[in-house]
Amino acid sequence: MNHQLPNSQGGATSAHKLIWNLIDNHRLPYGIAALALFLSTAFQFFVPLIGSATIDFVLVEGTSEANPLLERVIWMIGGSEMVKEHLWLPAIAMLGFAIVGSLFSFIQKRKASIASDGICKGLKDKLYNHIQRMANRYLDQSQTGDLLQRCTSDIETIRLFLAAHVVEIGRALILLVTVLPIMLLMNVWLTLVSTIMIPIIVGFGYIYFKRVKRIFKDVDESEGRLTAVVQENITGIRVVRAFGKHDFEIDKFSKPNQEYRDTSLRLTRLMSLFWAPSDMLNLTQICLALVAGTYMAVKGMTTIGTLFGFLALLNMVLWPVRMMGRILTDLGKTIVAINRINEILIEPVETETDVVKIRPKLPTSGSIVMRGVTFSHSDSDPTVENISFEVEPGETLAILGPSGAGKSTLMHLMLRFYDCEKGEILLDGFNIQELDRQYVREQFGVVLQEPFLYSRSIKENIRFGNQAAEEKAIHEVARLASIHETITQFSEGYDTEIGERGITLSGGQRQRVAISRALLAETPILLLDDALSAVDNETESAIIDALKNRHGKHTTIVIAHRLSTLAHADKIIVMEKGRIIQTGTHDILTKEEGLYKRLWDIQTRLEESFEKEAMTAS
Amino acid sequence: MSQPYIEEEFRNKLDLDLWKRISKFALGHKRLLIPLTSSALLLSVVEALFPFATKVAIEIVEQGRPVIEVWKPGAIYFSLAVTLSILVLVFIRCAGGISHHISHDIKRDCFQRLQELEFAFYDAQPTGWLISRLTADCDRLSRILAWGFLDLVWGVFYVLAMSAVMLAINWKLALVVLSTIPPLIVISRFFQKRMLLASRQIRKHNARITASYNEGIAGVKTTKTLGREKQALSEFEGMSTDMYGASVRRAMLGAVYLPLVMTIGSIGSGLALWYGGHSVLSGYISLGTLVMFISFAGSFFFPINQIAMVLAEMQGAQAAGERVMGLLATYPKIKDSEEVKNRIATYAESSSMDPNIACDGYPHIINQIEFKNLSFSYNDKEAVLKNFNLTVTRGQTIALVGPSGGGKSTIVSLVSRFYEPTEGQLLFNDVDYRKRSLDWLQGQLGIVLQTPHLFNGSICENIRYGRLDATDEEIIEAAKIVNAHEFVMKLDDGYETKIGEGGALLSTGEKQLVSFARALIANPQIFIMDEATSSIDTETEKLIQEGMSKVFEGRISFVIAHRLSTIRSADQILVIQKGEIEEQGTHEELLANRGHYYELYVNQFRRERVRQELEAS
Repeated sequence: MNHQLPNSQGGATSAHKLIWNLIDNHRLPYGIAALALFLSTAFQFFVPLIGSATIDFVLVEGTSEANPLLERVIWMIGGSEMVKEHLWLPAIAMLGFAIVGSLFSFIQKRKASIASDGICKGLKDKLYNHIQRMANRYLDQSQTGDLLQRCTSDIETIRLFLAAHVVEIGRALILLVTVLPIMLLMNVWLTLVSTIMIPIIVGFGYIYFKRVKRIFKDVDESEGRLTAVVQENITGIRVVRAFGKHDFEIDKFSKPNQEYRDTSLRLTRLMSLFWAPSDMLNLTQICLALVAGTYMAVKGMTTIGTLFGFLALLNMVLWPVRMMGRILTDLGKTIVAINRINEILIEPVETETDVVKIRPKLPTSGSIVMRGVTFSHSDSDPTVENISFEVEPGETLAILGPSGAGKSTLMHLMLRFYDCEKGEILLDGFNIQELDRQYVREQFGVVLQEPFLYSRSIKENIRFGNQAAEEKAIHEVARLASIHETITQFSEGYDTEIGERGITLSGGQRQRVAISRALLAETPILLLDDALSAVDNETESAIIDALKNRHGKHTTIVIAHRLSTLAHADKIIVMEKGRIIQTGTHDILTKEEGLYKRLWDIQTRLEESFEKEAMTAS
Repeated sequence: MSQPYIEEEFRNKLDLDLWKRISKFALGHKRLLIPLTSSALLLSVVEALFPFATKVAIEIVEQGRPVIEVWKPGAIYFSLAVTLSILVLVFIRCAGGISHHISHDIKRDCFQRLQELEFAFYDAQPTGWLISRLTADCDRLSRILAWGFLDLVWGVFYVLAMSAVMLAINWKLALVVLSTIPPLIVISRFFQKRMLLASRQIRKHNARITASYNEGIAGVKTTKTLGREKQALSEFEGMSTDMYGASVRRAMLGAVYLPLVMTIGSIGSGLALWYGGHSVLSGYISLGTLVMFISFAGSFFFPINQIAMVLAEMQGAQAAGERVMGLLATYPKIKDSEEVKNRIATYAESSSMDPNIACDGYPHIINQIEFKNLSFSYNDKEAVLKNFNLTVTRGQTIALVGPSGGGKSTIVSLVSRFYEPTEGQLLFNDVDYRKRSLDWLQGQLGIVLQTPHLFNGSICENIRYGRLDATDEEIIEAAKIVNAHEFVMKLDDGYETKIGEGGALLSTGEKQLVSFARALIANPQIFIMDEATSSIDTETEKLIQEGMSKVFEGRISFVIAHRLSTIRSADQILVIQKGEIEEQGTHEELLANRGHYYELYVNQFRRERVRQELEAS
């Protein structure tokens, strides 16, 4: 029962495991992508080399310093004499290498996307499934917004890492293992001069972004403040207008608006301080190579072709390298995101603690017994204490009591949203903790206190009670719940969408749709948790009448405040502060001192006093 | 909040007139616009000159010049590098500057307009939609305006500069290399447009996934009771598969596009090598020139890609632009007429001298409000009020009761001039209120709404919202009258207590007490309580009830309520149904009638007593 959040260290070690497990099923596409990346880089580097070789062996007469690599390249195309006659040969070779390189690059991008998007899809599915099956205790404690953020923006961070950063890092590594050897083969000294600044370029980016991390947060925060002001203003526009405070509001808005502009400007200035120097560094590196190369070529230590090739290769390498610093600083973010997601995934699902899972063949007869049930939401006072009652199949049990008495908790315990700490709940003699959870829930048709409807059509919402139900049966239960007429008045009838994209139902309408849904399931037991609170009196009695037909066949447990709903019950329980204080039928309870009698008296005496008041008035 | 409002439009034609109107916002920042344009122009020239340094270097080697001349290409290259870095610094600052300034200005103007627009405008626009107009749309437009402009100028001139350099050196070879530009343009336009649309598709799927997570979390209990975890998961998997498909499709476009344009670049280089190689062999051009041409051929891709991207984004943002400009072109319909403005000008002096004269020259004191044959409809179709007649004099309290949608709220909104009558008149002291100053009228209102919207800040600040120059003493005084003082003093920081977003740290009843004090502090002549007591506990209701009897004295008051205690003491009770007065009279008269009011009373009273009983125990 002890609810513990994972300690951070456990989270960190399993973060590695998690990412490794995620990649597990996608190692093949990732492997292919890596191979294709290697090949495409290699082929693309040959393109400038062909140019170099052509320059050295065809266009320039008597090159003194013959470069073995370039010589091999020209030999591959057909030898220098042959090429001199047919200059289209190197041109076609360049194109050929470019096309093959492109093909591999295509394969690499495709496979990398299949792998990274596939991993993210798997992660999303896993999270969704996990959240649905987690213990309610955890869900009660977590905030929807926080969970939602972990499921969306944290996954996006991971996706960015897998799709972009991994590839960029891979490319950098492959460049290192392909370009460097090629360059070294061509000219060792020129290679040294041409790469000497790369560590500085990467280091500059890394240190820069580490140091300006704060400003990104500032911009986000000031944007958040601006949005908050806009939101507050627009949702409260009626108040603003009612008090004629538009000038004040415009004034109020201008501060965060300017603040957001100014922080953004600050970020821009800082970014210009990154891009300009890093451009300068890159260009200086190329300039160094150019000067050194020219010097060496004049001295005969290298050839024009080699110089040309070097410059072309450098241009390919240097510009992506510039972003490496930033990518490295972003790695920290990814780890945090993985940990946050992992915190959800290592929470146990509710069935994990179930040892015995009996699943009787037949549905329950509808007999429910509670014996000494005690449960508390927190460590302090018990929410319900020592609750005992029996309901025979087909009976109706009514529960009455002020808010906070623990009525809803009783229902949640029957549904195994929580397990009771002391005592037991029996369904046909089986302790529900030993029954299959799914089985237990299948026995109940439930209308919760604040009924939840899905953003679907009304028909689909009702049909969730029983997927196999026919149209006729849906209309039938809607009639029982007195909502059929209302639904047919909507322009699209039962196909009317509910929620953001459709209409907003009133509280009473929502309750009645939820009742229809519960009725459609034809479960042995019906639980109504204050399910008629927003329905007007007339409709309520119509629904109660309809439900009376179930009496004797289905067990009904109903929480309500209006005596008209309770009066016909076989058994009535009055609860206060988590305990049962009175039990009996309507006839017994109207004679006993207590909450029930007080309510009943109000009801009956009022009728008389209204009459009197009206008489005196006239 | 903004998720359901992702825009899907993509216009095939660029509406230049629209962009011209939007770019007016940029023209105000000439101080930044001029350096931006000139740095973009210079940049394109500088970049086009880089290969020139290589050419010089190779020619030194080729022609066997003395080694000392190596400084020449080095100096050229380095000075170009320095210039380029400075230009980068300048254009980032200018473009960023313009973008953020424009964004600020557009937001400011939009916000200002939103404050002036009448309720009818807000009825038609969902809150989330408006918020994303004011944030996402404005940011996007300003970004495109500044950076798009930079990219366009730079891109076009870069291509032009490279072409010019090449044509000047060797026009035949130049034409060969330039022949790769048309296919580059066609392909870039084709792919950029599709990639933009694909990205939008991804965002759409992503919004659905977020909504699905939201529903999954909010409805987790219901899903469990219905035992539909598996089904819900498979539905979710359908969505995540769609998103996966869209992401891979987007990646495919990129995977085809980039290699394709690179290949075209190689074709250019190949052509230059083939054709130019012959020229080198026959001595027409130097090797250095050839190398320069080859590197130009590989560079065309960058500017053309950039131009295509900007154009695609402009097409994609056109709808956003239309919406923002549309908002700025919407003017409030309810405002002071020319006649009223003239009166305000004429009476400026006498009204400032005499507190009994309002700014529009009419008497300040409202003795009587009269609805005269007044009809009203929200959309010109169905009348919400039909031929309504009512006279209320100073000191009277009117209670409005009846079913929701019957027109009660419309009556008080008309008094507040949030809407104006479609037919008939509303007279203040026998003068049609459309002939009076709107600001003056709304300054005489004290309104308490059903949902007391409070602002993030302290209690003191919230009460002061009713009258900004109120002193602390006056605030406490008002709070005492409406019985809010007692609960405020129990809070840790008293009147300085921060109440959180929307007043989240207070109970509904406490929020209502604060909003009551806020309405009172302005000392309004007309007091309106719109269902102010319907969702609060009995205890607070009693407090408000007490406050009301003190506050209503000497004012004209309208009360919409369900609670009987609130209604009973009114001078006149109006049962409003289907836009008409069904019954009218005092509590006693109406009870004796045994009509609607009697029925309502019986039901309501029973409910209230039961509720009290359940709360008490």
